[in-house]
Amino acid sequence: MALGMKRVLFAVLLLVLSPFILPSNAQQPAAPIKVNQITGLAGVKNKTKGSITIENGNLRFAQGKTNVDLAATSMQDVVTGNDSQRLVHGTLGTLTMVAPYGSGRFMSLFRTKLETLTIQYRDADGSLHGAIFTMPVGKAEALKKELVAHGARTSVPIKEDADKTSAKAPDAKEQKP
Amino acid sequence: MTRILQLGVVFFLLSITLFAGRGLRAQDKPLAKIKASSISVAMIQSDEIKLPAEFQVALYEDLVQQLQKKGGFQHVYREGDRNAANAADLVILHSTVRGFKQGSEQVRQLTTVAGATSIDVHCQFTDKDGKSLLERDIKGKVMFFGANLRATYNFAKQAAQVAHDNFSPSPGT
Repeated sequence: MALGMKRVLFAVLLLVLSPFILPSNAQQPAAPIKVNQITGLAGVKNKTKGSITIENGNLRFAQGKTNVDLAATSMQDVVTGNDSQRLVHGTLGTLTMVAPYGSGRFMSLFRTKLETLTIQYRDADGSLHGAIFTMPVGKAEALKKELVAHGARTSVPIKEDADKTSAKAPDAKEQKP
Repeated sequence: MTRILQLGVVFFLLSITLFAGRGLRAQDKPLAKIKASSISVAMIQSDEIKLPAEFQVALYEDLVQQLQKKGGFQHVYREGDRNAANAADLVILHSTVRGFKQGSEQVRQLTTVAGATSIDVHCQFTDKDGKSLLERDIKGKVMFFGANLRATYNFAKQAAQVAHDNFSPSPGT
């Protein structure tokens, strides 16, 4: 009788607490990230705007009807970096350079920060390619982490791993005589 | 009469000078190009210089693209391409970064004279056995307009021109 009561209480408890359980998003595909492909993606022109998603262990670059897939396992090196560009860039940005009273130079003070994602990968023939993407700040490291989780390699450890290593480093130093 | 003679001498001297100049210019050109119908581009090395990954990759990609456009080769292979193993008259291009100065696009736009980005690359063309055929130091620069990565494009254009001037699918042309 007491065992039955316990079971009922446990079930009620589960029911009451169920709204507080956070939904897992592990199976949901991540939202596309707007990027600018600077160079290197086979079949895509240089300086092409598009979006990146990671699906089934592949990095998918989509631009209009064109989709290019890169298997994470084919990636030899994934590295992130920082960059910046003029707020007004492209042809209009070049035209503002000749604006009167130095206003073009003044405009160049206003810049937006960017992150770069550089990927070295091999195609079916074994040829080495290198692709560079720029994207808004805060996206590149997450992408890199996800790609590494799917089998991509990197020459620069992911930040968390690097932090763990540096946290362990003092212990290692202490062990030295 | 003496006037005509003087004019004749002047004309004679002028024509000699002209022909001599032509002869000198002809000597400036390379006598014969090295026979090479295909080229394989190795990934850029930068062991001594700390080069950002995006510059390394941009140098490599621009080099491949410019060689395809202007190099004059029948095939341009990338590093690791298995098809290159069967290629006849294959030349391999090894590039090593010897100097790198990362400027700033913002400083260039503000001052015009400062903030230049420059890359010094040593290019070595070898045959399949590793025998050196040609070596050149090539500089890529962006001085006024454009992002820092434009320096890699400038380097690649010059490297492709060097390849075009020194190699040809048919020898001596």
